[in-house]
Amino acid sequence: MIAGGSLLYFSIRKQVYKQIDGSLITEKTIIQDQIEQTGTIPDFEGSFGHQIEVNMFNYTLPPLQVIYDTTLVSKIDNVSNSFRILYFAGNTSEKKGYSIRIMSSLDERKRLLEYMSFFMFFIFLSLFLVSIFLNYIISRKLWEPFNITVGRAENFDIQSEYRLELPQTNIDEFRQLNSVILAMTRKMRNDYLSLKEYNENAAHEIQTPLAVIRSKMELLMQRKEQRKESIDLIRSINEATTRLFKLNQGLLLISKIENFYFREEKELSLKRIIEQNIENYKEIMELKRITVEMESANPAIVKMNEVLAEVLISNLISNAVRYNIDGGFIRCTVTDGYLKISNSGIPLKTDPELLFRRFHKVGDNPQSVGLGLSIVKKIADTYNMEISYTSTGNLHELQVTYSGIRP
Amino acid sequence: MKILIVEDDRSLSASINDYLRLEGHICESAQNYRQASIKAGDNSYDCIILDIGLPDGNGLDIIRELKDNKSADGILILSAKSSLEDKLEGLKTGADDYLTKPFHFAELSARINSIYRRNKLSGQNEISFNEITINTSDNLVHIGHQELELTRKEYDLLLFFVANRHRIITKESIVEHLWGDEVILTDSFDFVYTHVKNLRRKITEAGGQNYIKSIYGFGYKFTDN
Repeated sequence: MIAGGSLLYFSIRKQVYKQIDGSLITEKTIIQDQIEQTGTIPDFEGSFGHQIEVNMFNYTLPPLQVIYDTTLVSKIDNVSNSFRILYFAGNTSEKKGYSIRIMSSLDERKRLLEYMSFFMFFIFLSLFLVSIFLNYIISRKLWEPFNITVGRAENFDIQSEYRLELPQTNIDEFRQLNSVILAMTRKMRNDYLSLKEYNENAAHEIQTPLAVIRSKMELLMQRKEQRKESIDLIRSINEATTRLFKLNQGLLLISKIENFYFREEKELSLKRIIEQNIENYKEIMELKRITVEMESANPAIVKMNEVLAEVLISNLISNAVRYNIDGGFIRCTVTDGYLKISNSGIPLKTDPELLFRRFHKVGDNPQSVGLGLSIVKKIADTYNMEISYTSTGNLHELQVTYSGIRP
Repeated sequence: MKILIVEDDRSLSASINDYLRLEGHICESAQNYRQASIKAGDNSYDCIILDIGLPDGNGLDIIRELKDNKSADGILILSAKSSLEDKLEGLKTGADDYLTKPFHFAELSARINSIYRRNKLSGQNEISFNEITINTSDNLVHIGHQELELTRKEYDLLLFFVANRHRIITKESIVEHLWGDEVILTDSFDFVYTHVKNLRRKITEAGGQNYIKSIYGFGYKFTDN
């Protein structure tokens, strides 16, 4: 608009100048004709409302013509006025030079131009605003089905049981888009379900063969007069089997959490569960000379599934014990809004966020399968709890905020 | 003890059979619901080890049948399902205990023993092993006439050992027995070692014999020979 406005302004200005210049030149031609016909400089009454100044010389002047703008200050009222001036010089037939200045006032025209520009600017501006507004209204109306589609597709959750539903539309392109998105999400959901089912079944079916392996191995162990080599072999197989079992058990648990297997909820005291878990690890803590502090003003009642609450807390406590140092400490703070478990340990070398990933292991503990914290995370996600892990030097802090699930 | 093993996996069934025979039990097996239903209906067993996921039916129905016939057989559910709901449903139907696959034989043995004690030896809550007497109703242990002061874990450990006397018990099975297998595992076996050491010390200090033998590579054996 600015470009268009200035273009218009300048082209009008150009036209105005062209017109003024034209009238000045016409005037000049009239004057010159008169001079040629009469041989004298006529006493001019300027036509076209021009002012004319004539100077005569007794010598000849080189012919000259210039057009320029100037500002003159009126002697009468001390007001400055703009003029367009055609200055030209020539010689009469008696070889006398003359110079003539034809002055055309610009002020009125300039004012006109300013009014016009001002007016035009307003027209432009209102046009512009109206067009933006109309455009907004139209596009909103026009793109409404599209926006709804995008919004719903954005909120589409593959884990949710609700199917994606998109609005009916008369616009072919959008209808096509909707049908493609619907087909895509349906396929995604089906793939997801079959993959999930596969995982569940796989984890579940592995349990029996694992049980067979373990049982045969334990029978083998009971045999008398074992050779040392075979004992070592059996022990290695046993360790690997136990590990596989733990791994499978963890995956099975995660898959159950994902499937909302643990639906039943009741009011539980997190404080009590923590105390029970600390009790369970009492001897281990004594052995590692870990001191435990429990800070809690109230029982911290939450509404959640009992199994999940138990798994959550026992994983947190067992982690705090497992990654602790000899002579270290564990401090549990439980309030109605959050639970924080701080413990001493060796400084963390990896990004704390990585700890929540499946199969991420710290150190080379062969008994750790790297699922503990990802189970914790899964449970936290289920209940919209926020979970954060900070580690500064020897201090590790894990905080679970659960303000959302208070009864 | 006379035990019926209801398990559709033949290999696992054979293993359980072998192990329980080693312990001196008499075992019979059933591979499916039909066989199990017939056997359980015709005979009485001290304990039925029951897999609830059978190819031709649900094991829980067998429990219902048994309960309808006023059977006093002890029932231990064996299942690949490990959720609390399944456990509760099994127990509600009338099972005595619940064990998930894969299990340790030592654990299986301990559970069967405890079911047997509760069911058949009602009133008699004492288990003895030479000079050691364990009273399971008030959780007291005596060496001869001297009472032994044990922590909860030490008591559980002793009971576990006695239930599996003369058998090799792995450290893993002890860890799982003492701390539970839902817990994704506690550290090394140092804890087991410490508990065993303390238990052994307490028994010998009270005048008992040292029956807990360390078995290279595997774990321990509670035995008097």
